[in-house]
Amino acid sequence: MSDARARILARMSQGLGRPCPDTVARVQREDAPMARQVVHHVADFIARAHALQSTTDRVADMAAVPAAVARYLRTAHLPLQGVMWPQFADLDWVAQGLALEMRAPQSDDRTGVTGCFCAIAETGTLLLHSGVGLSAAASLLPETHVAVVPVARIVTRMEQAFALLRSEVGSVPRALNFISGPSRTADIEQTIVIGAHGPRRVHLIVVDG
Amino acid sequence: MHATSDRFKSNARERLDDAGLQANLRRFGGGFAERRREAVGRVDDFEALRDRAAAIRTEVLENLDHWLLAFEAAAQARGTRVHWAETGADANRIVLEIARAAGVQRVVKSKSMVSEESGLNEVLESAGLTVTETDLGEYILQLAGEPPSHIIAPAIHKSRDEVSALFAEHHHTPPTRDIPVLCEQAREQLRPRFLAADMGISGGNFLIAETGSVAIVTNEGNGRMVTTLPRVHVAITGIEKVLPSLDDLAAVLRVLPRSATGQDITNYVSVLTGTRDPGASDGPQENHVVLVDNGRARLLGSALHEALRCIRCGACMNHCPVYQNIGGHAYGWVYPGPIGAILTPAYLGLENALDLPQASTLCAACEVVCPVRIPLPELMRVLREESFSRGLRPWHERLSIRLWRWLALPPRLYGVASGVAVRMLRALAGRDGLLHRLPGLDGWTEGRDMPAPQGRTFREQWRQRARRPS
Amino acid sequence: MNVGLFVTCLVDALRPRIGFATVELLEAAGCVVEVPASQTCCGQPGFNSGDRASGTELAMAFLRDFEHFDAVVAPSGSCISMIRDYPGLFAGQPEVAGRLAALAARSHELSDFLLNHAPQRLPAGKLQLRVCYHDSCSGLRTLGVKQQPRELIGAVQGVELSEMREAEVCCGFGGAFSVKLGVIATRMADNKCVNAAATGADAVVGGDLGCLVNIEGRLRRRGDHQTRVLHFAELLAEGLDSGHHD
Repeated sequence: MSDARARILARMSQGLGRPCPDTVARVQREDAPMARQVVHHVADFIARAHALQSTTDRVADMAAVPAAVARYLRTAHLPLQGVMWPQFADLDWVAQGLALEMRAPQSDDRTGVTGCFCAIAETGTLLLHSGVGLSAAASLLPETHVAVVPVARIVTRMEQAFALLRSEVGSVPRALNFISGPSRTADIEQTIVIGAHGPRRVHLIVVDG
Repeated sequence: MHATSDRFKSNARERLDDAGLQANLRRFGGGFAERRREAVGRVDDFEALRDRAAAIRTEVLENLDHWLLAFEAAAQARGTRVHWAETGADANRIVLEIARAAGVQRVVKSKSMVSEESGLNEVLESAGLTVTETDLGEYILQLAGEPPSHIIAPAIHKSRDEVSALFAEHHHTPPTRDIPVLCEQAREQLRPRFLAADMGISGGNFLIAETGSVAIVTNEGNGRMVTTLPRVHVAITGIEKVLPSLDDLAAVLRVLPRSATGQDITNYVSVLTGTRDPGASDGPQENHVVLVDNGRARLLGSALHEALRCIRCGACMNHCPVYQNIGGHAYGWVYPGPIGAILTPAYLGLENALDLPQASTLCAACEVVCPVRIPLPELMRVLREESFSRGLRPWHERLSIRLWRWLALPPRLYGVASGVAVRMLRALAGRDGLLHRLPGLDGWTEGRDMPAPQGRTFREQWRQRARRPS
Repeated sequence: MNVGLFVTCLVDALRPRIGFATVELLEAAGCVVEVPASQTCCGQPGFNSGDRASGTELAMAFLRDFEHFDAVVAPSGSCISMIRDYPGLFAGQPEVAGRLAALAARSHELSDFLLNHAPQRLPAGKLQLRVCYHDSCSGLRTLGVKQQPRELIGAVQGVELSEMREAEVCCGFGGAFSVKLGVIATRMADNKCVNAAATGADAVVGGDLGCLVNIEGRLRRRGDHQTRVLHFAELLAEGLDSGHHD
């Protein structure tokens, strides 16, 4: 195996006409151009999330989140059952009639309530990362994914999300999951069908306070 | 994958005569180009995004060995085991060894074109493992026993009725024309397999040198499933897929989905690094990356170097009028369309794919959409030059080029020859002014007439008019 | 302005009328036109078949024949694209490459020349004709020829242009491709015929004779002997002639 490595590397340095350098200086460039300018973080994030078939709600503070989750599930005639990340343990869920458990989801759990590390206005995308108490499956297995997005965590572009990770988390977590709306496929006759293997619905609760 | 790229002509003819396929190509072929156009229209300056993506990919290739080693070191520091495979067969052997060592029985796979190159599924299955493709298109093709015909929409050549028939046969469900119902059936079939799998195999859209991560983009969420749920994850990918940093990933992702499916961003972009955190509830306990050469390294610094910039978006085939008329299978290997016309001969040997670089009018519809600005027509021309200089083309073709060159250069000879040719063609033409058959040009006259020359050559007529002294 | 006409080998052999129409248009636009007798071909047949050397030899011939002109014009986007490629064939010879680059920069596709580089605008012509326009690949994608021929055609009184579907999609000519992979080329030409027919036009108009021969060849084989297939130079010259008679 190490022979294969040596031979592949030798082939590359031969093709490139020099021995493999130990260090390489990056070409210095300005920030990469964005696809579209972000004028207003929150409004643009919400508009672009809608374009990805996410739905949104906006509430004043964290205390209002359980009511917003209940409202969404009831209006959509969805089961009031599921799992949530433990970071929301202190909120009053029971008063809203919600049976959300703080655990990793089973395949038949109906709703997964998660937070997010940050959200990206350029595309309307969420960034969740893995870790203890941050079940990745909670945003994947249940057919409804509800994510709580504090306004203060909406950044302009993906590069800023990476910068935030470097400053707040340090080393990159095992999994970064950028989520842009419900799962979908167009593999049969180029017809877009929402709800392929992952969630059929992504609902974002944008929290101002 | 077993290649039939040496039979391109007959493959193409067969596909042109396949009425079902033709109907499918016609119905679904144009959608991608339309959606890309719309997506580009929503961008402030798409050309600037292409410039940046091309610049990054160009920069990486200049020191690909360095960035690969940087990736390897960073990945190993996070507990990922990095394997190097010179050939597809080596890659298969490595994956099988990983599976055996980990006591794996059930494998779920998300789409990997490199594993199509190597024919990984066959190897794993003949070793007794159960392998399930989970990308819907790939799943359909696994049931059908067919290779993909497109790199991002593998089953684009199949109609809903064909899918329904396959599902009815394998799932024992009633046939349906309802596409969401078909998708639902696949979801129900595949969900338990995700949950029961011991090992997930994925491709890798990019390798990030900065962090030792594998980046995977999927819409269906199957890429997330196979890298989140099973206890072992193996990513198998080509050595050219490195990007130096996460910021480079951000820049390249601005062009990849827009060029591929016309989406502003793919539903799921996962950046995966190392193994499950202690105390976390998901993620693989064992993580491997298989770096596959299979012909790539020797392209570095060659005349085809720029083809390695490819980020596998499929835009070139979506815009290629040849691909749109014959479909992907005619190309006879993993990569169809313009990029396939370059990579197939590059990886399998030109003599095994001799007609592929000729399978283009050099119309450049591919070049103007390529998100990393690969000069695809120029690279096809490079391969044509190699065919010509190595004497690989048929004798009559070589002879006719030589003859043309011999005549085209000396003006006087050219004048005489074209004058004679014009007279001959006029003599052969029917009264309708058309040539219905031309000896040696059956390729033309099989399906088209040739309008006969109007009269004597322009040069002859011009000289005769002697309109002005020279 | 002293203009050298690069006739192109296809026009020379198959449809000299396009050459004469081009001369007429250039003169009407205020140019003094010369046709160097020693010109042959731009070299694409060999170059695109992998015989790079034939490209370099014909590039040198082009330099010999045309360097002394103020401008070079060809009724073909394809040949002009090839000419624009010449400097790149002389990477190791900066002097020749420089001269070729300078010459390539003043070599123009006919419609682009008439609209953007000629001393005078064309006088308005007149012609009753419903047409659709096929964009030839090299002109369109390499030279940016798209609006130029449409504007010229649109200025002819009585000409009605309706756009066909997939006007920018290749017709399948591609030089030797049209023979080597004739079945594919035929299908592509067939698509073009279908799209042209759907517009109800009397004529399919284009700017490259290769494409026109391919489209016409397929139209006739399909049994359509009515639809005319014209180079825009023929259309414009016809328009000028009818205009003069008024």
